[in-house]
Amino acid sequence: MVINKRDKNSVAIFDIEGELKRSDIADVTLHQLVKDELDLGKRHILLNFDRVQFIDSFGVGEILASYISTHNLGGRLKLARISKKLYLIFQVTMLTKVLDIFEDEEAALHSFLKG
Amino acid sequence: MAKRLAERLGRVVNIRPGEAALAVLFFLYFFLVTAPFNIIKSIRDASYLDELGARSLPYAYATAILIGAVVSLHSRLQARVSRKTLLLWSLAFFAATTALFGGLFAWSMAVGGGFRKWLPLPFYLWVNVFTVVLVTQFWFCVNDVFNPREAKRLIGFFGSGGILGGIAGGLVTGLLARPLRTSGLLFVSAGLLLACMAVVGLLFREQRRLGEPGPAGGPGADAATASKIGFGSCWDAVRADSYLKLLAAVVFVGGVVSTLIDWEAKTVIADKVLSGRRTEFFGMLNAGLLVLAFLFQLVLTSRVIDRFGLRRGLMIYPVLLLLGAGGIALAPALAVAVVLKGADKALSYSISQSARELLYIPVPQSLKYRAKAFIDMFVNRFSRVAGAMLLFALFLPFGGDSKKAWLWVIGLTGAAIIAWIVLNLRIGRAYVQTIKDQLGRTWERGDEVVGGEIDVETAKLIVDALESKSRSSTLYALHLFELLRSGRMTPEVGGLLAMGVSDAAAPTRNPMWESDEVPWMPDLAEALPAEVLDRNIREIMALPDYRALMGDYARRISDDPAAASLTAKMELAKAAGLMGPDAPAALSLVDLLREDSPEVIRYAAASAGTLGKREFVAPLVAKLGDPRTREDARSALEEYGARIVGTLGDYLADPTTSEEIRREIAAILAPIATQSAADELLDQLRGGAGDLEADVIDGLDRIRVRSPEVVFPADVIEPMILKHAAAARAEKTSADPLILFKLIGLLYPHEDVFRAYRSYGKGTKDDIAYAVELLDEMLPRDLKEKIIPVLESADA
Repeated sequence: MVINKRDKNSVAIFDIEGELKRSDIADVTLHQLVKDELDLGKRHILLNFDRVQFIDSFGVGEILASYISTHNLGGRLKLARISKKLYLIFQVTMLTKVLDIFEDEEAALHSFLKG
Repeated sequence: MAKRLAERLGRVVNIRPGEAALAVLFFLYFFLVTAPFNIIKSIRDASYLDELGARSLPYAYATAILIGAVVSLHSRLQARVSRKTLLLWSLAFFAATTALFGGLFAWSMAVGGGFRKWLPLPFYLWVNVFTVVLVTQFWFCVNDVFNPREAKRLIGFFGSGGILGGIAGGLVTGLLARPLRTSGLLFVSAGLLLACMAVVGLLFREQRRLGEPGPAGGPGADAATASKIGFGSCWDAVRADSYLKLLAAVVFVGGVVSTLIDWEAKTVIADKVLSGRRTEFFGMLNAGLLVLAFLFQLVLTSRVIDRFGLRRGLMIYPVLLLLGAGGIALAPALAVAVVLKGADKALSYSISQSARELLYIPVPQSLKYRAKAFIDMFVNRFSRVAGAMLLFALFLPFGGDSKKAWLWVIGLTGAAIIAWIVLNLRIGRAYVQTIKDQLGRTWERGDEVVGGEIDVETAKLIVDALESKSRSSTLYALHLFELLRSGRMTPEVGGLLAMGVSDAAAPTRNPMWESDEVPWMPDLAEALPAEVLDRNIREIMALPDYRALMGDYARRISDDPAAASLTAKMELAKAAGLMGPDAPAALSLVDLLREDSPEVIRYAAASAGTLGKREFVAPLVAKLGDPRTREDARSALEEYGARIVGTLGDYLADPTTSEEIRREIAAILAPIATQSAADELLDQLRGGAGDLEADVIDGLDRIRVRSPEVVFPADVIEPMILKHAAAARAEKTSADPLILFKLIGLLYPHEDVFRAYRSYGKGTKDDIAYAVELLDEMLPRDLKEKIIPVLESADA
């Protein structure tokens, strides 16, 4: 798994590529990377799943941990371009009630501006 | 006059309105068959012993082997002509041949020599045919006309007609043997048979008058069919049916026993009574024996069978004979021979004959007459041949007069009686099974039928899924997940759910979930096997961060329920069921179960049932009182199973609980179906269930069906049975006795009781009779005395 970070309009965007699963943990986890950005004062985090082939419960746990950490500091974490499979899982687990999920990056970025 | 006759008869016999004339005609019919028979029988025995001696009796017994030809001829005629024609022509034939033998005996006295010596042998054979044909035809007629209940009530009466006829015949012989001589007695017998023809004619007229289907027969059967109905066909009918084979075995062994006892008694009589006095002796003996038989038949037979049942009734005859055979073994005196012969004949003509005829009644019509012809005519007579063969076999090594032969016969008689007792035990049990077979299929509860045919849960889930599509994509996804997880997402179900996609307006805030999109399910289902999806979701739900997030979400809804939408509450209620009993969000169900919306309750109740926490029980019970939420709450509480039986019992026993809720609790305890659930309901009966009684009994009945091992104490149920029987008798209503049958079914084989109920419910006289007959054989005396009259009053 590879995670690249970029910034756009004061939003830290994490482009995740590969498989987000427990057997493929990188040296630094997604949650850790998000926390690092939060430590730097960033409060708007966007996770881009366009190139994610697979995500397991460990991966979801990372997303949730990232969300909680962001939320606890008054920030907002949103998701974009998740697969239909992942969306189904989020729906079944009711995480769609908690997480903001967008079809594309532009809509997500625009939502940060709206507040 | 008919009314007066019925009233007088009713004092002695348990007779119903409209039955008196028929009962009297059958009485006379049997009287006029057995009276001439006993005259002829006395002549048969006396003439044979006079001319040929006791030692040659086995040859006479052996003539019974020719009865097979009689059976064959009779069966062919039976199929070809009507019952009435067959009876009348048979009586005419025997009247004519009786008169003929009268002439032959007169001539034999004149010519003497070999003709006189050997005439008794063909006469013996002819008398066997006479007995077999006329007596069997009488019982055919009884089988045609009466069902088992009628037969049980009336057999004592018209059977006593036969015995009285025997007494009369014996007395006539005893008193008139010298003045009239053999030939004169035979002419008197012929006259009695002609009188019998008149009675038979009246009997058929009475049947027509009553509008009953008359005694069966086979008019118009073609020659080809009639030719096939012969000895072989009758033998095949018996051989193919285990009950009939057993019945044949009972008759056969009984016949062998009777032959051996007959030989023992006659051997002693021949030794003690002088030649020339034997006709009188046999006449008076037969008359005396038959007085006993008559009293027994009239006064005791129906009562004994009614009180002790058919199975015990069958045992009386062989057990008493065993004692008698023991007596003659110890002391072969004339008095003992008379007692033994007396016991044999008295019981044979009364209770044994009656019980045996009752055994035929439940046999299907298609088999009955062929089987009866074979068993009563051939097997019965062939048993005499078998007895004769056994005697020959014993005479060969020891000689007919030797003491050793005598002892061997005694021993053999004892062994045969024991075998007979065993067979009677088996046929008694088989009789009950035959009654059950007549009753056909058992009764089935509607809810069991529906549950067996339709997957109610899947149907509900599919309907809910379709409904939720227009309400919430989250709810829809939850339903799909449930269908996938439980293996119910078949291609057909997927297609059904997909069909409505374009029609559904699925409001979402994410364009990913477009309603007119072809559903992703088919490819998704391939890509995400149900077990993988299930595992993923469960792992996510177990994550501490997930629990914390969803707990907060659930708290927000609970803290301000007015602000949350109905849909949001439904979603949370549905999802809570997946989260595990310890999840913070799951605890929100306590609040959700207090919502007023039946839609929220539907999901909350289902999740509560899945999670099974004690905190949910009280709000679920409260929802039983609302007809909108009753079914959902009930389903959820049923899922708890035996764990909450005690709690439900507390609510049931609490007088402050509303009646609607208590009714529902009685219904919930039924599918739980454990001993403790039954005990809670039984406590209600003990304490007096009041208006709930019918629901409690229904619940107990359902437990009985599901869990046959559950015990229902007789000291609670029997008083209920008696109470309901008394109430039905007092009200004289023809209300559905279902509640009575349910109570009986708690103590006795449930399937049998409900076969009887189903038959009873058909309402025809015969169906009610068979139903009541089965209960009569099943129930103990104290219960059936109270229940049977109530049930029989329905067909009155």
